[in-house]
Amino acid sequence: MTGVLELESVTKRFGGVAALTDVSFSVGEGEILGLIGPNGAGKTTLLNCISGVYRLDAGKISLQGRRIDGLPPHQVARLGIGRTFQVVKPFASMTVRENAAVGALFGSAQAHMAPKAAFAWADEVLEMVGLAPKARLTVGSLTIPDRKRLEVARALATKPRLLLLDEVMAGLNPVEVDEALEMVRRVHAGGITIVLIEHVMRVVVGVCDRVIVLHMGQFLAEGTPDEVLQDRRVVEAYLGEKYAARRHG
Amino acid sequence: MARPAFSTQPSRAGRRLRRAILVAFLVVVAVVLVLPLTLTQQAADANLDPTTLGIDFAMNKSIVRTETTIAMFVALAAAWNLIGGLTGYAAFGNVAFFGLGAYTVGYLTDKLHLSFALALPLAPVVAAAFAGLIGLPLLRLRGHYFAIATLGTGIAVGEVIKNLDVFGGATGLFPPILRHADALFFYLMAANAGLAVLVTWLVLRSRFGYGLIAIRENEEAASVLGVNTTAYKVGAFALAAALTGLAGGIFAQWASFIDQESVFPIQYNVEMILMAIIGGAGTLFGPVAGAIVLEWLILELAGGGASAVYAQIGLGLLLAVTVIFVPRGVVDFFGGSSRLTLGYLRRTLRETSV
Repeated sequence: MTGVLELESVTKRFGGVAALTDVSFSVGEGEILGLIGPNGAGKTTLLNCISGVYRLDAGKISLQGRRIDGLPPHQVARLGIGRTFQVVKPFASMTVRENAAVGALFGSAQAHMAPKAAFAWADEVLEMVGLAPKARLTVGSLTIPDRKRLEVARALATKPRLLLLDEVMAGLNPVEVDEALEMVRRVHAGGITIVLIEHVMRVVVGVCDRVIVLHMGQFLAEGTPDEVLQDRRVVEAYLGEKYAARRHG
Repeated sequence: MARPAFSTQPSRAGRRLRRAILVAFLVVVAVVLVLPLTLTQQAADANLDPTTLGIDFAMNKSIVRTETTIAMFVALAAAWNLIGGLTGYAAFGNVAFFGLGAYTVGYLTDKLHLSFALALPLAPVVAAAFAGLIGLPLLRLRGHYFAIATLGTGIAVGEVIKNLDVFGGATGLFPPILRHADALFFYLMAANAGLAVLVTWLVLRSRFGYGLIAIRENEEAASVLGVNTTAYKVGAFALAAALTGLAGGIFAQWASFIDQESVFPIQYNVEMILMAIIGGAGTLFGPVAGAIVLEWLILELAGGGASAVYAQIGLGLLLAVTVIFVPRGVVDFFGGSSRLTLGYLRRTLRETSV
C-alpha cells in the first residue's frame, strides 16, 4: 500500500541524544492514525520533522510520492500539510477571525486566497470548530479549550489534505473531550487525513483507525487500537499494569 | 491575562469629539502644507530686495526648515515601523540606509555631475539592495542579537564610506546648491512621509501585512501556516530601507554638503525608534504622531546650552513613562477602541510589570 505520507528510516539526533531512530510507517488516504507513547518517545519531534521545522539526520519523508524532507515549513504547508502545536502558539494581538484568516491567506496551494475570500473561509472554519461566536474577540480572552480549537481552525484554514494534531485534547474535561472528538470526526468527514498525537486513550479508541506506538524514539508497535492496547510491550512501556487490569477487569 | 473586551461603539459625545479632532487635524495639515510656499515666496522676495532683509526672512526660513526636518522624521519613523513595529524586528541601524541614500545622491551629483532629479530615484534602490544583502544573514538573528547586529552595521557602513576616497573621504561630498528651493525640499520630504504612510496602509490591508504581523506574534506558527518568513522579513526590511534611503537622498541635496557625521548619526537610530514606540509601534499613525511631537520637542528644547541637557533628560523620562503606562503608544491611548481613563493606565501597568 502506498499512503499519502510515507516515512522511511527517519532519524533525528539532538547532539548525542537520538530523538528518533529508524522510524518508518505510512499513512493511508482518509485514515485517522493515532501516534502514542510515553513522554519523550519522540512524537512531537516526529511531527516537527514532517512539517519541516526540523531537518532529518537520515531517512526520507514523502507526501504523495514527493520528497518533502529538507523543505522549509512554509513549502510543506503549501503542499498540503497542516499542523497544530501542543503548546498553543496563537497570534496574540489578532482577533480569532484574523488568526484563522492567516491560515487561509497563506496555507496550501488550495488556500492562498485573497483577503476577502480568506476571511469568508475563516468564518466557515470557525463555524466548523465551534468558535464562530467568538470570532471577533482577541485571543487573550479565550479559554484553554478554545485556544486549542483555534489551533485546529488555523490549521484547517490552510485547506490541508493531511492534518497533524498534537495533543489537542490534553487538559480538557470529559465534556470538552467529547466536543473535541465530534470536531475531529467532522473534520475527517470533510475528506482530510489525520495523524493525531494523544494521551487520552478514550480519544485514541474513539476515533483512530490505526495506532502506532513510539518508545524512546523507536517504533514499538502498530495495529488497531484494541490490538495495540493489549500488546504486552505497549502495556509495559507506556500504559502500565493498572490500565491493562482495568480494561480487562 | 484576560483583558475585558472593550466596547467598539464609542458614545455619541465621543464620536463628536473624534470628529472635531479630525477636522482640527486636517486644518493643521493644510496650514502646514501651504505655509512653506508662502513663507519661501516672501523669503525670495526679500532676497531680491536687500533693504527688507531682516528678522522675518530668517524666521521664515527657520519655520520651513523645522517643518522639513519633522517631515523627514515622519518618514524615518514610519519606515522603521514596517520592520520594527509590524514585523517585530528591532532594527537599530536604519541610519545606514539613510546614509547610503544620501551618499548615492551625493556621489552621483557631485562626482558624476548627474542632475538631482536623475540621482534621487537611485537612492532608495541602493538602500533597498543593501538591506536585502545584509537582511538575509541578519534576519536569522532574533531579539537583542538582531538589534546589536544592525546597530553594528549602521556604524560600520558610515566608517567604511568615510575611509573611501571616491566618496570624498573625511571631507565629504558637495551636491551643487539649488537656490530658492526651500519649499521644494519641504514638499519632497512631505511627499516621502506621505508615501511611507500610504505604503504602511497598503501593507496593513494586504496578505503581506498579515504575514508580517504573524511573524511578529509567532514566527514558528507563521511558517507552518505557509508564510515564507525569510522572504517576508527581507521584504519588509528592504521596503523600510527604500523609504529611509529616499529621505537620505533628499537630505543630501537639501544640505548640499554631506559627510559621515551628518548622514550616519547614531542618534537617528534611537530617535526614529522612540518616535514609533511613543506614537504606537505597529499602528498606521502612531509613528507619524510620535515623530511630529518628538522632533518638534527636540528642535524646540535642544537649541543648545543647558536646555539641551534638559531635553535629553525629558526624552528619557518620556520613553520610560510611555513604555510602562502606554506600551501600545499614544495613538492607542487617545483613539482606537479604548477610553481615556485611569483604568487604562492601571491595566497597562499590570501588563507591563513583572
